[in-house]
Amino acid sequence: MHVPFTKHTLANGLDVIVHEDHGCPIVAVNVWYHVGSKNERPGRTGFAHLFEHLMFEGSQHHDQGYFQPLQQAGAALNGSTSTDRTNYWEVVPTSALELALWMESDRMGYLLPALTREKFETQREVVLNEWRQNYENRPYGMVGMATMAALYPADHPYHWPTIGSADDVRAAEFDEIRSFFETFYRPGNASLTVAGDVEAARALELVERYFEEVPGAPAPPVVEAEAPALAEEHRLLLEDRVELPRLYLAWHSPRLYGAGDAELDLVATTLSNGKASRLYRTLVHERRLATDVTVMQSSRELSGVFQIVATAAPGHPLAELDAVISDELERIGRDGPSDDELERSVAQVEAYFVYRLQTVGGFGGKSDQLNGYNVVTGDPGHFEADLSRYRAASRAALGEAVRRHLVQSPRVAVSVVPSGGGSLALPGSAPAQVS
Amino acid sequence: MALDRSRLPVVDSDPPFAFPTVHHLTLLNGLDVRIVEHRKMPVVSAVLLLPGGSATDPAGHPGLMSLTAALLDEGCGERSSLALYQELGRLGAQLDVEVGMDASTVRMTTLGRRAEAGLALLAQLASEPRFEADAVDRVRALRLDRLAQLRDVPAAVADRAFARLLYGDGPYGHVPSGTRPGIRDLARDDIVAAHAGAYRPAGATLVVVGDGTDAALERMVTAAFGGWTGGASTGKEGPAAAARGSAEANGSEAARLVVVDRPGAAQSELRLGHVGVARSTPDYFPLLVMNMALGGQFTSRINLNLRETHGYTYGARSSFEFRRQPGPFSVATSVHTRVTCDAIREVLGELHGVRDGRPLAVEEIARAKAALTRGYPRGFETAEQIGRGLAQLALHGLPDDHFSRFGPRVAAVEAADVARVAEAYLDPARLAAVIVGDLTAMADGLPALGLGALAPMTLP
Repeated sequence: MHVPFTKHTLANGLDVIVHEDHGCPIVAVNVWYHVGSKNERPGRTGFAHLFEHLMFEGSQHHDQGYFQPLQQAGAALNGSTSTDRTNYWEVVPTSALELALWMESDRMGYLLPALTREKFETQREVVLNEWRQNYENRPYGMVGMATMAALYPADHPYHWPTIGSADDVRAAEFDEIRSFFETFYRPGNASLTVAGDVEAARALELVERYFEEVPGAPAPPVVEAEAPALAEEHRLLLEDRVELPRLYLAWHSPRLYGAGDAELDLVATTLSNGKASRLYRTLVHERRLATDVTVMQSSRELSGVFQIVATAAPGHPLAELDAVISDELERIGRDGPSDDELERSVAQVEAYFVYRLQTVGGFGGKSDQLNGYNVVTGDPGHFEADLSRYRAASRAALGEAVRRHLVQSPRVAVSVVPSGGGSLALPGSAPAQVS
Repeated sequence: MALDRSRLPVVDSDPPFAFPTVHHLTLLNGLDVRIVEHRKMPVVSAVLLLPGGSATDPAGHPGLMSLTAALLDEGCGERSSLALYQELGRLGAQLDVEVGMDASTVRMTTLGRRAEAGLALLAQLASEPRFEADAVDRVRALRLDRLAQLRDVPAAVADRAFARLLYGDGPYGHVPSGTRPGIRDLARDDIVAAHAGAYRPAGATLVVVGDGTDAALERMVTAAFGGWTGGASTGKEGPAAAARGSAEANGSEAARLVVVDRPGAAQSELRLGHVGVARSTPDYFPLLVMNMALGGQFTSRINLNLRETHGYTYGARSSFEFRRQPGPFSVATSVHTRVTCDAIREVLGELHGVRDGRPLAVEEIARAKAALTRGYPRGFETAEQIGRGLAQLALHGLPDDHFSRFGPRVAAVEAADVARVAEAYLDPARLAAVIVGDLTAMADGLPALGLGALAPMTLP
């Protein structure tokens, strides 16, 4: 598991990573800004994501929309915002690398002179459309927000969703843009990867040409948060326009690369990946209590969330599913997985590490991974170290992680039920507040 | 010293794209095999293409082909579904079953060193599924539940209603996952018969792309698939015959406007369009160019209008679905409830505009052509992408050099061709519309759209 690369840091603080891959005549440009919704404050949420939209609306020397020249040159491009970071990428034919770097550097260095109140207001409407389309108008769409709000205290940076609350987005002020950009969109707070069909020296020379002139700035304040803990279980109820009730269970879990993170990843695989997995087997196949079950360890910089989501088959209250899930967690906490289960889970992880090296660009491609490792660990070549966590995991360690983080820890349990279906929820569930 | 940013860097032309060489063979059982050596990563990706898609679902049973495919991984040969998934896990294999309107595909991706075992498993899945009565019963129940859930997903409801509005009870009138009445009384015998009819080596195509020489991959394919028997091909004639002539005729001419009421919905999900054109059309390339400029990308007219100028939506796209028989032309978007009628009016305006008032400018056509051709190689970066491409060639009977000639053929499209196909294949006067949203909130504005009276529709 070796991905060769070079890494340089420009005088203004920008990390520049270059990876050569001449398998296809394309180059990926990928930029991570180390800012996400965790850098926001209560009452002012959704700004990082709204700002991401504004990054596509033109900059001082090309004030006509970001997509047009790049798409005309054959680029695919996009961006995304999470709690921890905002990323932007282009995949271009080799001949258009310089154009992509020109465009990325112009919006890194010269965004504000081109920003107008009109652009801001249009994009705010687009974001509110996104909010309605992806959350409000989608079955089970509001449950993620309700879960995080219950799991994290009101002032914790993971309390609110990345898209923000609709009220906060409506209340966002044009004047906040300047300070947001100046604080967070600085080269020292960014990591740039160029990966693909280009000589490393040539790539670095082009990056220096376009990015060196962007002025450096002090590092933004580091976000800190107390390790979150629940004092007791929270049971919540959400009525939604859905056919079948669904149970969402969530626990605090280790943060990204923290002790137990890889173990819980493997636990999730053992529990729900494929038709031989434990919870699929018991809940869906044998007892037919559920129509689907998904388990994931979502680890982020400040802390992680372990989640189990299961949809009830018609006629089965969620308490029946919960009982089976609790039994299974008890069992795997006590005995760990079998040797065969652990071996299969690790084999799947190993194969996945190879599959995700097949593309240079886009979300999850090599350039995105190099930046991700660099921003979080400081080492773009963290691939082998990352994989070795999984190879080193033992049955006992998986059992220990389950006991400590799941069996012995309080959780948030959200029951989503059809209107008037409160009796299908876990007993004692209180209506959730969502906005 | 500041850099001169007064102009964008010049982008040189791209080297010509060449699709890799395809090694063809036909096994004795009639299986059409296409192999591509792709040594970039230690991965092998295989696609088995069966020519029966949801268009061949028998009358009264929408969803039969899809349910059949969903049962392939419930056990095959001597393996139970548990044993099958344990094997997939040990191999680190990725299995993916997909049923479209025109074809069913089973795809298996493994590490190169596991390719032999992966291909053997793929062959067994396709040729010897067990279809145990218990599995049929369970998977059918899961599908019924899934279909019930989809009634709450506006985009899924819109797709269903739109297919029905355009094609009625014809082969393209239902989506592959089918309907609850269509699958409720399907029995094991129906599944077995559907499998026997569609999963045959003669008429099917196996594509294998990845980290092995042609000879090594050929040896593995022959070992895995050589023993697959099956009757003479009903093969590619199946869907074509079933769809022929009926694809266009079944939708009711009068019905043009359907609202699936969702009281209180925050957004309206829209599908606007009409029956389009088959993949075999000689106008394929001009249509690609025209659609790209009209609504095929972010900087297209429709998206810029609805998203960037008006802020009605998070995004809007138009497309021609090029199937074996004429698929739909459609504009798909989701808009804020209170601008539903305004958004439809803007789309109609763009369709009229591109035909008469505001024909596509030379510059827009150039941009569309560039977007189609300049990033082309990135569509063939991985073994799986190359495999999917080859399966498309097999489905539509296109030659191996299709992808290599794609760029030059797009480049050869002229402004006159674009104007001609806009005139010939876009027909705003017979535009049909599906709206999934709050009827009360939009009712006042609907009559002025000129789409006629509301047509009743009950989705099965």
